[in-house]
Formats: sequence, structure tokens, C-alpha cells
Amino acid sequence: MFIADIRKDFYEVVANQRVVLLVAPDIDALCACKILQALFHCDQIQYTLVPVTGWQDLGTAFLEHKEQFRYFVLINCGANVDLLEMLQPDDDSIFFICDTHRPVDVVNVYNDTQIKLLIKQDDDLGVPSYDDIFRDEDEEGEDSGNESDEGSEPSGKRRRFDEGAVERRIERQRAKREWEARRREILFDYEQYEYHGTSAAMMFFELAWVLTKDTKDMLWWAIIGLTDQWVHDKITNMKYVTDIATMQRHVSRHSHRNEDEENSLSIDCMRISFEYDLRLTLYQHWSLYESICNSCYTSCSFKLWTLNGQKKLQEFLADMGLPLKQVRQKFNSMDMSIKENLRDVIEESSNKYGMKDIRIQTFGVHFGFKNRFLASDMVHATAALLESAEKDDSETDTFIKALDALSRSNIDRLHSGIELAKKKLIAIQQTVASCICTNLILSQGPFLYCYLMEGTPDVKLFSKPMALTLLCKYLLKAFVLSTRNKRCKLLPLVMAAPKDVEKGTVIVVGIPPESETSDKKNFFGRAFEKAAESTSSRTLHDHFDTSTNNAENRFLDGKLFLKFPERERCE
Amino acid sequence: MVSFVTARPAPHAAGTICSAVPVGRKFLNTHTKKQTDMDPSEVEFLAEKEMVKIIPNFSLDKVFLIGGDLGPFNPGLPIDVPVWLALNLKQRQKCRIIPPEWMDVEKLEEMRDLERKEDMFTPVPSPYYMELTKLLLNHASDNIPKADEIRTLVKDIWDTRIAKLRLSADSFISQQEAYAKLDNLTLMEINTIRAFLLDTLNCMYKLRSNVQ
Repeated sequence: MFIADIRKDFYEVVANQRVVLLVAPDIDALCACKILQALFHCDQIQYTLVPVTGWQDLGTAFLEHKEQFRYFVLINCGANVDLLEMLQPDDDSIFFICDTHRPVDVVNVYNDTQIKLLIKQDDDLGVPSYDDIFRDEDEEGEDSGNESDEGSEPSGKRRRFDEGAVERRIERQRAKREWEARRREILFDYEQYEYHGTSAAMMFFELAWVLTKDTKDMLWWAIIGLTDQWVHDKITNMKYVTDIATMQRHVSRHSHRNEDEENSLSIDCMRISFEYDLRLTLYQHWSLYESICNSCYTSCSFKLWTLNGQKKLQEFLADMGLPLKQVRQKFNSMDMSIKENLRDVIEESSNKYGMKDIRIQTFGVHFGFKNRFLASDMVHATAALLESAEKDDSETDTFIKALDALSRSNIDRLHSGIELAKKKLIAIQQTVASCICTNLILSQGPFLYCYLMEGTPDVKLFSKPMALTLLCKYLLKAFVLSTRNKRCKLLPLVMAAPKDVEKGTVIVVGIPPESETSDKKNFFGRAFEKAAESTSSRTLHDHFDTSTNNAENRFLDGKLFLKFPERERCE
Repeated sequence: MVSFVTARPAPHAAGTICSAVPVGRKFLNTHTKKQTDMDPSEVEFLAEKEMVKIIPNFSLDKVFLIGGDLGPFNPGLPIDVPVWLALNLKQRQKCRIIPPEWMDVEKLEEMRDLERKEDMFTPVPSPYYMELTKLLLNHASDNIPKADEIRTLVKDIWDTRIAKLRLSADSFISQQEAYAKLDNLTLMEINTIRAFLLDTLNCMYKLRSNVQ
């Protein structure tokens, strides 16, 4: 059931209760969790925070807590499966689900008692109407009751009634079969593609705003949640721009308070500002040269894995008049004269080299004298912390570390996250370069396929879903630009990397084909299920994103059996 | 030159120049050692009893606590509450803190200039000015205009007074005076010098008594 008034139907319901927060491992969920925690602290609502990495974790956590807790809040998990069937809860457990995964399972939508969806209804959902999917079974019972009544009538009349009854029955059965066929088709259309809706962090920020408890910290977290969706390519450009406009209204409302007083605010206060900044990842915490080499957009436009590409880069820098020595040192130590007009200069030059979108609308934060961050910097740093491949860190530890990095008082952790993110980006670029140069991408009929061997450097980094998805997207972009085969440019990419060497499992990710106007809809969830059936290898569809799953090594042999229905291939 | 007559610290000080009453766990742990110091966090704790004006955004009836009555709270109407409650409400976003009257740039500039001119300690804006400045500026700097300048000014006043205190203590010991008069010193300032001064005087006494 969709919640109409988030304050009355959610916040006031949990106000005097103890809640369990089940949070998925992505940055949007972390930000949403932070906002909700801050709200709970204000009103002293007791809660238990449980990070969950997949469906099994979710089930275990639910079993552990179902005796003591009645209210469960699920962040970025649970909307796209039939939750009641999976968890088998008691009748008094209530689930509040705030999830960006679409399509929302129809059972979750139409359940009135136990499942409450914290999702805006105008969010382009396309849920099939109730009558198309569910049918009252009472009709059948009544008719058969009538028939048995009629059966007790005297035989003469009965024969006449019988013919009519038989005809009606045949008619009913035919209608029922038609209805069921239509229902199957509607459900198939509805559930074949996976995509994402409005950020969960933004939903909770709206809750805070309605309660007038919104602070700049919460606004910043909401912005980071939205930027995470853009960095990891989960929403379309249109949606991103629309959401940025919404956030911009909030930002101006908060900054308006600063500028009102003629006495300026303390330098330690947080200032959020709208920036039309460069698309170079982490450039303010790195050197400009490194950032250009390791950002997907620029690296793919220049084709920096070729010698030609390197030359073009040197030309580009010369065109802008930036001396190499300046460009290679840390951004903060560059000459002020160069830094002043950097954005405009880069935009002008990049237009000449075919990079029309080098600038992107985003937000930056600024507190204290030293600390300036862009939203995308925070996303990369936190993602690197969340998926860091330390041996002695369990997944809960990395989750807590990443959550801490979002607070303003833990700048050290954020800086360590930025360093990890730099290493991750360098690893991604090197892997992309080696894959393209050694032609590791194979065309397997309806899709492209790439398998990272165990000995590849930094392959441990890619045993995590977000890092592997990022690698996958960069690789596809690079491949599309470097191949001459027209047909290959329209194919989706499936990528596999070893997950656990001892157990012999791999993690498999699939992304839709690269296109300018992509609507970011992913069909691999269904495709992987079918492939698993046909190869009978053990797969674990454990991740909340259905386009990622873990499998045995044997699954890869079955890749030949991955067949997609015609309709899906045309996307 | 400061004249030392009698020891009379500023009002509200819980201790005199002699050792303070040991508090809580410190007493249990160090009962064999002489307790000559208060922890600065204890001084801050005492400072939190001062009253400050807030504007709440909720309503609550009168609250009867052991230390006194508080309330009733009405949204939008200013009310005086202890600092500890003001900070808790501020962190829960339930109020807006109004800076005390003395926390103003011009007034603090005057005080600082006066302090620099005088040899004696000048009257302080509040017996807990240092702690209040730190607490209010850390938690509620968005409600206090020109917070950075205020922080700098209060630090200047503190530095001047501590310098004077050091000078006086130095001359007290070297000239072997018998008693000292310390007007207008706050508990925090006394606390910074208490341990050192008492230990030194004890050492001097031992040395003097051994000579004889």
C-alpha cells in the first residue's frame, strides 16, 4: 500500500515504538539511513540498525528480530519481491519499505495491512490495476453452489437447466482462461525490466522537511544520495536534472538564511552551493592530469589506452595553455591564475575535442577553511570505503566505516576514503585498458561477454557489485568507441569476475547496451534466472539488484544458453 | 604590581586556593594522593548551570525538577533555561538559542582593551565566560552572529588574564609573600594554576624548613 501522508502514516506511527532499520549496501541507502537516524535522535525513538547485503541476510535479520520488534523499516531493499511470502511474518509485523528498485511487486502494492510503501505515487510506476491481476474467487464458489442446488431439482426441469448451466460454465471457463492469459502478459510486461526511482535519501529528506526538522546536514546527505544514483548510472539524465532542480530549491531556502543577516555566519557552518562543475572525478583532491586520465568520460573520449589518445591529451592540455608541470601537481597547489578560469577554459577546449558534456550540474559543500567537497567526491569516497577489500573487515565493519565518513566530524575517514577511491579508479582504468588492448571482450551472439581471470591485478576490488558494475559500464563505453563492428555497438555486456577463489564462485553483472537516450532499464534479472534454469548450475540471486548475481564457475559454461526473447533484444 | 592581601576568589567558585573537594571517581582512585586539581570538564559541568535565553518551537507544561522549576514552554516565546537543557534542545532541533548580552563584538572589544590597560584583573562578563563561549559557539554558532570574531575576542581576553596570573604567581613565589588577593578571577582560571602553585609552595616550604 502506498502511504499518502508520510508524517501521519509513518513517522507518528513509529514515534513511540522501537524499530528495526534494515539497510542495503549502497550509498543512497546509507544517506537515507543517516537522515532517518538524525530524525530518530531528535525525537528519541529507539531503533536497531542492521546492514543487510542480500536476501539471505535480510531473512536472517528478520528471524533474529521478529520476536522483539513489530515495525521494520527497509531501505533500498524489499520492494521488488513478494516480501510476505519470502519472510513469512506474523500478522502484526508491519513493514515500511523505502526502495528505489522498480518495478514494485504487485503483492506489495495491493497489500493493505502489513506492507506500507514510502514511495511517491506519481513516480512513473505503471502498476497494473487491481482487477487485471487479482480476481475474487467467490464467483466460482457461488456458481458451483448454484449448480449443486440445481442438481436437486426434479429431473425434467434439470435437463433444461443443465444445458443452460453447462453453456454458462463453458463460457466462464473460457473467460477465465482469457483473463489469465492477459494477466500473464501484463505481469510479464510489468516485471521484465528493472530500473530505479527517486532516491530514498530524498524521500526521507522530504519527511524531515515536512516535520520542519531539516538541517543542512540532512540536505547534504540527500544530495549525496541523488548523486550516487547518477554516478552509478541508475537514473536517466532527465530525472537527474529534475531532481537537481528540486534540491536546488531546498539549497536556496537554506542559504537564504545565511545571507539575510548582515553579520556573516561562522566559517565552521556548513555552506552548500550549486555548482556547474567539471565531470572530472575527484579533481580537486588529485592532480588535474590524473583526474583527466582516470575519469570515464574524458578517458573514453580521448581513448587514452592508445598512443594516439595520449598525444591528443597532450594537445588538449597545450590548447588550453596549461603547463604540464602545473597540471601534474596537486590541484590545491596549482597557480591561482590557472585555477580561476579553469572551468570555462576546459569547457571551451573540450568542445573542440567532441566532449560536449564536460560540465554537469551538481552541488558542493564548504565548511571550515580547508574542507571543500563536491557531491560526487563524497559518493566515490564512501563507495570505496563500503567496498574496501580489507581482510579483517567484515561487511558490517565496512558499512559502519562508510556511514561514519558521511558525518562532518570524521573528515579523516573521508580523506582515507578518497585515497581508496583514487586507487579504485586507477585500477578500473588499467583494467579497461588491458581488456581492450588484449581483446578480452568476446561477442557471444546476442551479447558481449568478458571474464576477468583470477590473476588480473586488483581483481579483488572487482568482487564487489558496485565496483564491478562501474567497471562494466566504463568497459562498455570504451569498447563501443574503439570497435569498428557496427553490430557490436548495440549489444549489452555481461561481465564476470571471481568472487571467492576457494569456493569457486563468480559474480556476474549484466548491463544494457550503451546509448545516448538510454532509459536505464535492465532486463538481465529475468535473463539470468532463465540461464540458471537451463544450465542447472547453482546460482544465488542474492543481491537486491537483480542484474547482479553470484554463481558457480559452471554457470559461465552455460553462457551459450543465454537466450533472450526477441522483444528484449531490441532495446 | 599586584598587591596580595587575602585570597578571595570570584563568587560561585566551588573551591578556594586550597584543594577542592574531590569529586566522584577521582576520590575513590586517588585517596592516597592529595587531590589538588579539578578536571576542566568538572568546571564545565558547573558552568552548565548558568541560565541562557532560548526560543522553543514546542509547547510543554511547567516541569518540576529537583534543581528548580522550568517552563512552561510555548512556541515562539523566549524563556530562561539552564545551559545544559538549552544545548540538549538545540541538538534535538527544538529551540533557538539567543546569545547572552555580553556576547557581543563591541562589548567584548571594550573589555579586551580595558583588560590590556589595567594591571589588576578587571570584572568579567560572566563567571563562566570561557566555558559558555566554548559551549555555545560549538553547538549553536548558527544562532550567534559574528561567531568567529567573538571566539577570537574571548580568547584574547583569556590570554591577557592568564598572562597576568602567571606574572603574579611568579612574583608571589619569588618574593615569598604570605598572602594574595585575587579579585575577579573565574574558577577556570584558578583551576589552571592551582596545582602548580600549591605544589610550588609546598616545595618552597620543605626547602625552607630543611635549611633550618
